[in-house]
Amino acid sequence: MNFPDMIILAFSNLWRTKLRTLLTTLGVVIGIGALTSMVSFGTGMQKNVTDAFKNNDLFTSITVTPKQVNIDEIASGSVAEMAETFKQESVPLTDSMLMAIQNIPGVEMAYPNMEFPARVTLLGDSTSIRFQAMPAAIKKFKPFNDMLAGSFFENDTSSSVVIREDALWQFNIRLEKEGEKPILSKEDSVKGVKIISADSILGKTIRIVSLSVSASKIPNALFSMLRNKPEMPFDETVTLLKVSGILKKSGPFGNRGFSGGIIIPIGTAQKIPKLGFSSVYDLLDTKHKAGTYSSIHVRISDLKKMDEVKNALKEMKVGVFSIADQLSEIKRAFLILDSLLGAIGAIALIVAGLGIINTMVMSILERTREIGIMKAIGGSENEIKMIFFVEAAVIGFIGAIFGLILGWIVTKIATFVMNTQFLPSGEDPVNLFYFPIWLILGAFAFSLIISLAAALYPATRAARIDPVKALRHD
Amino acid sequence: MALIQTIGLAKTYKKGKVDIPALHDVTFEINEGEFFSIVGKSGSGKSTLLNLIGGLDTASAGTIVFDSKDLRKMSRSELANHRRFSVGMIFQSFNLVKSRNALENVELALIFGGVPRNLRRKKATDLLTQVGLGNRLTHTPDELSGGENQRVAIARALANNPKVLLADEPTGNLDSETSKEIIEILRDLNKNHHLTVIMVTHDLETAEIISDRIIRMKDGKIVDQLTKTEVL
Repeated sequence: MNFPDMIILAFSNLWRTKLRTLLTTLGVVIGIGALTSMVSFGTGMQKNVTDAFKNNDLFTSITVTPKQVNIDEIASGSVAEMAETFKQESVPLTDSMLMAIQNIPGVEMAYPNMEFPARVTLLGDSTSIRFQAMPAAIKKFKPFNDMLAGSFFENDTSSSVVIREDALWQFNIRLEKEGEKPILSKEDSVKGVKIISADSILGKTIRIVSLSVSASKIPNALFSMLRNKPEMPFDETVTLLKVSGILKKSGPFGNRGFSGGIIIPIGTAQKIPKLGFSSVYDLLDTKHKAGTYSSIHVRISDLKKMDEVKNALKEMKVGVFSIADQLSEIKRAFLILDSLLGAIGAIALIVAGLGIINTMVMSILERTREIGIMKAIGGSENEIKMIFFVEAAVIGFIGAIFGLILGWIVTKIATFVMNTQFLPSGEDPVNLFYFPIWLILGAFAFSLIISLAAALYPATRAARIDPVKALRHD
Repeated sequence: MALIQTIGLAKTYKKGKVDIPALHDVTFEINEGEFFSIVGKSGSGKSTLLNLIGGLDTASAGTIVFDSKDLRKMSRSELANHRRFSVGMIFQSFNLVKSRNALENVELALIFGGVPRNLRRKKATDLLTQVGLGNRLTHTPDELSGGENQRVAIARALANNPKVLLADEPTGNLDSETSKEIIEILRDLNKNHHLTVIMVTHDLETAEIISDRIIRMKDGKIVDQLTKTEVL
């Protein structure tokens, strides 16, 4: 008997017991649906996170600090490592050091990591926002090469800035998209949210109020504390700049988490008086000297050159940290998450497998005489076994197709509910689920394996039926 | 040389720890083209003997040679091949697959015989027409009479051109008129198509009319062997 004949025979056998076949297949459909939706959630989370890293070029970025820091140890709460870091002699990150780093083969560009908070007013609305100082040359790298409107500033001392799309929210601005106006909630209307086009923001003035420590105000501040009427020893500086461009939001999670809401030319930022604290790396450098940077951001040309560049930096005795190092850790964490989610889904599929065993055993009991007839007219044990295996495989295959469709529908509903019920209005929809090709093929393979494993006992039992007894069976 | 030869054939069934002998020291020969009948009362061992010749069961002792091949030395898959190509079987209770129509029942045997799909339908139709069922092809066993069901079974048994047709009480479930029709078909197959037929029956009268040779069995042993001339 050839394989196509077996498939035809299997279909006709299953068709004879439609309801039972339907219910058994439904078990597999639910199992595969549960498995794929669970795993697609895990892979979706992983994809969102890695995409966000990739969109921000974080895998080809290195942060250089004055001290060699073991981030893993510190992150795990190792007090000893933290103390060790504080004790270490730091290497001053000076302009000459910056130049030396820039000259390392494989380094595309290096710039000091400078971030500072300030109060900003744009189109009548004020908010506190974090500034990120950057060289104009960064515009050729992701995500800075993808502008929603306008252009990146031309040079490092330009009096213009670039605003990130998602930072506009803080100024109560919602952007029109291709003629489609976002619908405002009551709350938004009360707040006075404006709906405008991205182009209309270009060229507008932003007013920056930055704080800096005033030496002359310190005695007064101390005195005021004694009088219980504290005064702050700060000077306020107002700087006016123009908006040259709006940077597109990159990735479903945006990028405000990684960097500031407004990007300012590095030269312009250096001229603005501000507090000495400019980044978290300052915490590690207690002996921060004037004219040195707290950290330097390095972009490499190719991920393959990562080790080469890092070794060169380590020879300079500076601290080196890169997200790429954490990639395997991230992957491992997601593997655990995927395995857990997959295991929950697999339980459903194993239950479905028991359903297949039950259906097959019932089928054998009902078809004992038929098996006897098939043997009497020349059916071999292997052929009888194969007929039952193919029947199980058909259930598994159809179950996998509809299970994948079910899983896909479940994820679409979950995404819809999440985006309509839980996502703040106006935020871009987030897709938490991802169906990679390996998941689709894996679901098919897993479904077939479970189905065939479930058919192993019934098929073997069917093949061993004594034809003489089977022909006497009612 | 005989087509089938049995020497000292024995079959014992086990029921718990007790051995129940079904056949004991059965020795006979069947020649090609013969109409051979095995008669005896219920429990005499005649169906067991037919099952051994058909390769549905295996002997406990002795030798059974079919077309120069010892069935006792055959593997299970070789026995399946023997059932597929060397013999065709019909039964008292027809043993048709109830959910399949006449054509599909015959086609099932052709599927196991490896006949390509495009030839199967034609061959099954021809066989059913040959047994007078050309107008009942798509009827299921429940929609056919006993005689018609037995004709479908005969068509199925002939599907893979066997050397021997084994008929186990083929008229046992039929009225006398229909029985005659079935016997007539068997006789026609034997005389005009030179097919060797081995028929098991408890009806000595019918066996005497149709058979070239008869063996009579009692308690698992051959008690009598009659040739055509002796029968007449």
